[in-house]
Amino acid sequence: MSEKLLIVQDLSTTFATAGGPLPAVAGVSFDLEQNETLGIVGESGSGKTVLSRTIMGLQPRTNVTVTGSASINGFEVVGASEKAKREIWGTEVAMVFQDPMTSLNPVMRIGKQIDEALRVRLGMDRAAAKTRAIELLELVGIPSPVQRYDAFPGQLSGGMRQRVVIATALACSPKLLMADEPTTGLDVTIQAQILNLLDELKERLKMSVILVTHDLGVVATRTSRIVVMYAGRIVETGNTRDVFYHHRMPYTRALLESSPKVSNLSHTRLTTIPGRPPNLLNLADGCSFAPRCAYATDQCHLVRPPLQAADAPGHSFACWNPLPTTRGASSS
Amino acid sequence: MTDTRQPLLRVTDLTVTFGHHHHAVSAVAGVSFEIFEGETLGLVGESGCGKSTTGKALMRIVEPTSGTIELGGVDVTKQRGRALRNARTHMQMIFQDPISSLNPRRRVKDIVAEPLDCWKTVEGAERDSLINDLLSKVGIDPQVYGNRYARQFSGGQCQRISIARSLAMRPKLLICDEMVSALDVSVQAQILNLLEDLKAEYGLTLLFIAHDLAVVKNVSDRVAVMYLGKICEIGPADALYDAPAHPYTKFLLGAALEADPDSPMHSQVLEGEPPSPMNPPSGCRFRTRCPNATERCANEEPLPQELAPGHLVACHYPLSISRK
Repeated sequence: MSEKLLIVQDLSTTFATAGGPLPAVAGVSFDLEQNETLGIVGESGSGKTVLSRTIMGLQPRTNVTVTGSASINGFEVVGASEKAKREIWGTEVAMVFQDPMTSLNPVMRIGKQIDEALRVRLGMDRAAAKTRAIELLELVGIPSPVQRYDAFPGQLSGGMRQRVVIATALACSPKLLMADEPTTGLDVTIQAQILNLLDELKERLKMSVILVTHDLGVVATRTSRIVVMYAGRIVETGNTRDVFYHHRMPYTRALLESSPKVSNLSHTRLTTIPGRPPNLLNLADGCSFAPRCAYATDQCHLVRPPLQAADAPGHSFACWNPLPTTRGASSS
Repeated sequence: MTDTRQPLLRVTDLTVTFGHHHHAVSAVAGVSFEIFEGETLGLVGESGCGKSTTGKALMRIVEPTSGTIELGGVDVTKQRGRALRNARTHMQMIFQDPISSLNPRRRVKDIVAEPLDCWKTVEGAERDSLINDLLSKVGIDPQVYGNRYARQFSGGQCQRISIARSLAMRPKLLICDEMVSALDVSVQAQILNLLEDLKAEYGLTLLFIAHDLAVVKNVSDRVAVMYLGKICEIGPADALYDAPAHPYTKFLLGAALEADPDSPMHSQVLEGEPPSPMNPPSGCRFRTRCPNATERCANEEPLPQELAPGHLVACHYPLSISRK
């Protein structure tokens, strides 16, 4: 058993807003092995982006309270100073943000944006940094990298820009790459290219990857484990196959069934979840999903269910009235 | 199956060119299709392929450069002034961003009533009851929410209000441009089911423009695939997805991610990116990325050929010709 690269324990992020405290992430615990890909899935407002930013240590300086622990390769992020965090950004953990249009500086040549990390963090001189930056552009599959080194972001397409963002993130060989919706906004054929690239780089550079996404299709074939989030909490987690085929939490099933599939016949009626995600400013004491759940009982509305172990190792779910286990019944 | 149905919409050789001379971009470069009454035609393609421009040209939000658009036998491209405004009541469009397509400072009831107040088709109590009816149909309680402002609603609710507004004039054709792509999956499913219900109830004909292949298949009877301003394949939804005849359609379907860990990993990924529409390749526009391309593809533009009834492909070497 390999050692853990990332251990997150009881992590909570609460924003102070005019309407009261907003618990965007509440009591989240999970861990990540070396060279593993983990998927964090949820709808908008489920806290998946805040969770990934909290693990990076990227919060606003004011109006936010973070409790619990997130340790990356032994470095405790929660409570660390900006200066200390700067030591791990780039070398231990790096992030690829959602929007490749805005995460690059539009008036700076892309080569310089990669150089910057190399020269500041690794202390390379100008010439060495340029050589390395061109190598990185080549690594992420940018055609004619020597010419592209001098290009501005506006001269590249969305897919190419996302490759540059990935090259910037990889500049200091991080052990953990966090990708927050890396392919949202890209076309399907480009999305497939970028996801294949991330897979390939993960193997080649022996990184761990966290894929944060709302798209179950993105995580289905690319991850070994999945965390499903709802209203700031983990509601189900386990091996990818367990979550897809043997899920116990009604929300996981609802999420899977409500997404249209290419393999379905046209005009297949979609299963919908009634209602909307809850307002995080006034959450009830019970299960956050209870108001939308077909199986909810009085207990669900009053007491929040803890994560409990399912029958497969590493698989757990938070539900008082779980779906019956499908393991052993039919398929493998 | 021979089609005895009448096409509600017939588009012939539609082109839209932006700019002039050396800066001309032909966003839509000769598109022809028909939509029959009560049918949903899905229009898929990647960004920049001209699918949204096609939708906007039908409404004449952007002016077509050439070609004809016949709605119920009348050529919309020739109409002006009052006749054009009249024709537009038969077609309505729903846009991608639900929040920005509603005025945040107006009340929901007034937004839905706007088309009725412009045309004065119904007035007084009849108007109010029609608005209440429309709002209830889309799942917004008019008593509770009717007087609220558009800014107080979530994306999914705003899209419901947009649908109610578009139905107010009882249009024949509804053009939906990426109407669910900004919504979460659970909300997306609600809106797609709502659209199917309303289509049946109001006898609507739909042009459903989207980039998401699974969503398009779910709502469409027939699907047209666009690449760089041209339709490369059009056919019945299930047949087209089962046995794509154009190499581009095959790549596009191969790249679609299925929410299933056992789904086959795509062995072939389409390399590169679409060429610039300012300088499209000669002959077949897909030839620069097509693994089967030959010299003939560079010299001669493939014309649509019918493989099976209603299934047309514009390719010199279609993939599933054996099905004929």
